[in-house]
Amino acid sequence: MKEAGKTVLDVAEKRRLDEVEAYLVSNRVLTIRLVNNAVFESKGVHDIGAGLRVIKDNMLGFSSTSDLSKKSLEKLVDAAVFASKARKLPFKYSFPKPKKKPTVTGVYDKKLAELPPENAVELAYDMVDASLARSKKIVDNAGVLNVVNYDTLVLNSEGVSAENKGTFFEASLSATAKRGGEVSEGSEATAGRSLKELKTREIGEKVAEMAVSGLKTQKLKENVYTVILDHEPAQEVTSYVSMLVSPMIARLYFPLFLDKLDKKVASAHITLIDDPLMPNGVGSAPIDDEGTPSKKHVIINKGILKTFVYDSFYGATENKKTTGNAVRASFAVGVSSFPGKNYNGEPIPVLRNPFIKPGKWRREEILEDTKQGLLIRRFHYSRLTNPTRGDFTSVLRMGLYAVENGEIAGAIKKSRLLDNLLNMLQNVDAVSDKLVVAGNWGDYAHTPVIRTKAHVAPTD
Amino acid sequence: MILQKLLSSNLKLHTWLDGIIMGEDLALFAVEHASKLGADYVDVRLEEHYNELITVANGKVQRGIINRKRGIGVRTLVNGAWGFQSTADLTKKGIRQAAEIAFKVAKASSKHVSTPVKLVPTKAHKTSYKTKVKIDLEDLAFEDKLKQIITWERKLHTSKKIVRGLAEYTGIKINKTFANSEGASIGFFNTLTWLSLKADSKKGVMTQFYEKTVGHSGGYEIFKKNDMEKMSSEIGNKAESLLSAKAAKTEKDVTVILDNDYAALLVHEIVGHPSEADRVLGREAAWAGTTWWAGKIGEKIGSEYFTAYDAPTVPSALGYYLYDDEGVKAERKMLVEKGVLKGHMHSRETAAVFGVQPNAGMRAITFEYVPLIRMSNTFFGEGDWKKEEMIEETKHGYLISCMRHPSIDDKRYNWTISAQEAYEIKNGELTTHLRDIALTSIAPKFFKSINAASEKTKILPLPGCGKGDPMQSLYVGNGGPYIRGVATILGVS
Repeated sequence: MKEAGKTVLDVAEKRRLDEVEAYLVSNRVLTIRLVNNAVFESKGVHDIGAGLRVIKDNMLGFSSTSDLSKKSLEKLVDAAVFASKARKLPFKYSFPKPKKKPTVTGVYDKKLAELPPENAVELAYDMVDASLARSKKIVDNAGVLNVVNYDTLVLNSEGVSAENKGTFFEASLSATAKRGGEVSEGSEATAGRSLKELKTREIGEKVAEMAVSGLKTQKLKENVYTVILDHEPAQEVTSYVSMLVSPMIARLYFPLFLDKLDKKVASAHITLIDDPLMPNGVGSAPIDDEGTPSKKHVIINKGILKTFVYDSFYGATENKKTTGNAVRASFAVGVSSFPGKNYNGEPIPVLRNPFIKPGKWRREEILEDTKQGLLIRRFHYSRLTNPTRGDFTSVLRMGLYAVENGEIAGAIKKSRLLDNLLNMLQNVDAVSDKLVVAGNWGDYAHTPVIRTKAHVAPTD
Repeated sequence: MILQKLLSSNLKLHTWLDGIIMGEDLALFAVEHASKLGADYVDVRLEEHYNELITVANGKVQRGIINRKRGIGVRTLVNGAWGFQSTADLTKKGIRQAAEIAFKVAKASSKHVSTPVKLVPTKAHKTSYKTKVKIDLEDLAFEDKLKQIITWERKLHTSKKIVRGLAEYTGIKINKTFANSEGASIGFFNTLTWLSLKADSKKGVMTQFYEKTVGHSGGYEIFKKNDMEKMSSEIGNKAESLLSAKAAKTEKDVTVILDNDYAALLVHEIVGHPSEADRVLGREAAWAGTTWWAGKIGEKIGSEYFTAYDAPTVPSALGYYLYDDEGVKAERKMLVEKGVLKGHMHSRETAAVFGVQPNAGMRAITFEYVPLIRMSNTFFGEGDWKKEEMIEETKHGYLISCMRHPSIDDKRYNWTISAQEAYEIKNGELTTHLRDIALTSIAPKFFKSINAASEKTKILPLPGCGKGDPMQSLYVGNGGPYIRGVATILGVS
């Protein structure tokens, strides 16, 4: 990769380009998919590629290729220059300068990187085995184990030369329990950076417990409830907020926070931090995808929106410096949701390792303190249906329980949450004291449990 | 050899960056190597991709990208278990490694497979074909396209009430060679083009938006066929008009007439997805969900006005192809006929489970991913009404226009889909213009309520249908005629 990067810089110099940046990737993903209590398929992908940005006379162009031969890289430079011709920037733009790279521990694990595919198959199946062993009422399991091993290199004409190696896994399982005519589901998903964090039997057991606990449900009445959002739904709320504080996503798609800087967007219980220097953090890395050293930022401080986050480009559009939040995402076909990877897109600014600052409550105390309400353990099919107003909906397909006088009073039938994200954030009145990794579909964060209010209705 | 056939035809081959013309040899090398290792069945997709992406918002270029990639995906069946590995390393060493990993993981998985995979035999086709293109994407200068898109975005701003305009263009060329261990060898040169336009409007605290997507399997000529500046202005005007529209109020079980655009998202969500046979078999339970109509083939699940198809062969529709990613020849699939559930979309594997013939339902977004059962072009069948008559005949109801957002339960049973706008119908005439509206119902209840379908079907582009783990966001076509039925109106403001 270093050789390919050097070739690109040399070619750019010969073409007398003002600046050039090459982002090179070698990324391996192994996916073991489980269906009907069995291994259904095992699949792997090896991504290799280079994404190139060029600046000439303050015109910016981008192109990418998966072919790292010399001839191809020469054509890559030509293609990027070609793409730049119509993109004259109305502001002065320059790629980041080199800065000292900090150290982040716990983001690369050799054992995970070199995990033989056959062992990955056994680990994935372990989740199913544990779930079936936990209860005879479990009739079906499905899930996935993804193992990611990435190596990226950023080189630019300003002197940046920064490598970033990492490993990542995602393990999820869903189980179906049956008792007589009753059917119930359970689900659990987690992620981590090392093999030792992958506790497949624990996942299987948790899922089985959740599935069995949902047998025998009652229908709820449509109302505004006090809701305890367990780790996964709380992570989804964090994930939406992460998008709202990206100036690119906010301007183009989700403008809810655009006019709310230094204004109240959440209750005083919410402090949202982005810390990609966190040891062993699911989103941690020493540098961002432009090679800028990672930094910790307070995004929302006691409910007040303090800052958006920037890469060098979106920073330049507002005359601000990069905050080290450049993430290579792509809107081209065939992209990966996993870290480390997309060479075929320009960076966009997003939160990298966000978390809601833990509060003072233990999870059990939040439950005990709730006179009447709902415990929500999973969201499904969540949507920001009106991104300008913040209208939000999610299907509460499983893991929904009534809470009465501080105790779980039974499982509730499938329902729908239909409320407003801004209202939900502003009504948060309790945050738990422990962060747990939760999420799904490659999107994970360290999350506490939060309590708020929301409108919930039955689905039938 | 397919290479000679491709060269001798008038097919304009995409010459890759280093001058290599994509051919069959590498694909056959992969098939042979995996077969020698002991795989019972092998198929490969050797592909090269060219993408263009341009995004303009409020007059500023947000993205102007040219992507190229190529690689191979090797799928193996060993002792009844699937394995897959893809790579962008197209050296013989790289392909050999990919074949070996695909074989190894399949073999390891076979120890934990509950029911060994069986495939329905299918003819091994040797052919090549391409999408009809009048203006090749690379024949028009990138900067010229950028200038046009900047103009179209500017036209969204019909007044100061339009606070945000967004134009997103995607152009894709895919040169694909499929080969398998049964002797199939199929070349497909596909071109896809689409543009999404969106205008956000604001007046005081009230905000609204309106959006449309134009696209097809074909080249840049789609933007010559349509008056894009006029379309942009219409979108801006619509976004503005919604500011003074009335908020819809909740009303239970009322007559609704769905236009083609809204019907497109409805058929996608409650007919297309539940027709995927892997979903019917419960194999998507942990991801996208299951299907309420599993086990109901042959049962009446809707009225006689409810017919639905999936047809890859519709020329220029976004989900166009003639052979799927298992090499099966495509044809129109009857999903529902006059209210009776007739069939599902199949792979060779699910066809074996159901005891039917495979019907070319498998597609992968790129060589990097396994093929999955996907919609191609799924649409409601036509009726014999004129849409004007449907409105004239309605004493009280609503004309629901243009899709917005879906939220559907995991069985595709309970559905809620919002619309961009609606009009109240009173005594056969369109009256009050309505905003912030969604429809909700239960799928079988709605299907049984369908009492009219208009004469003409329109198939619209839906470029971002998600399925799979890792997620594959695939382009499909959806649509139908105007459909009349009964549903509950939800006011969502």
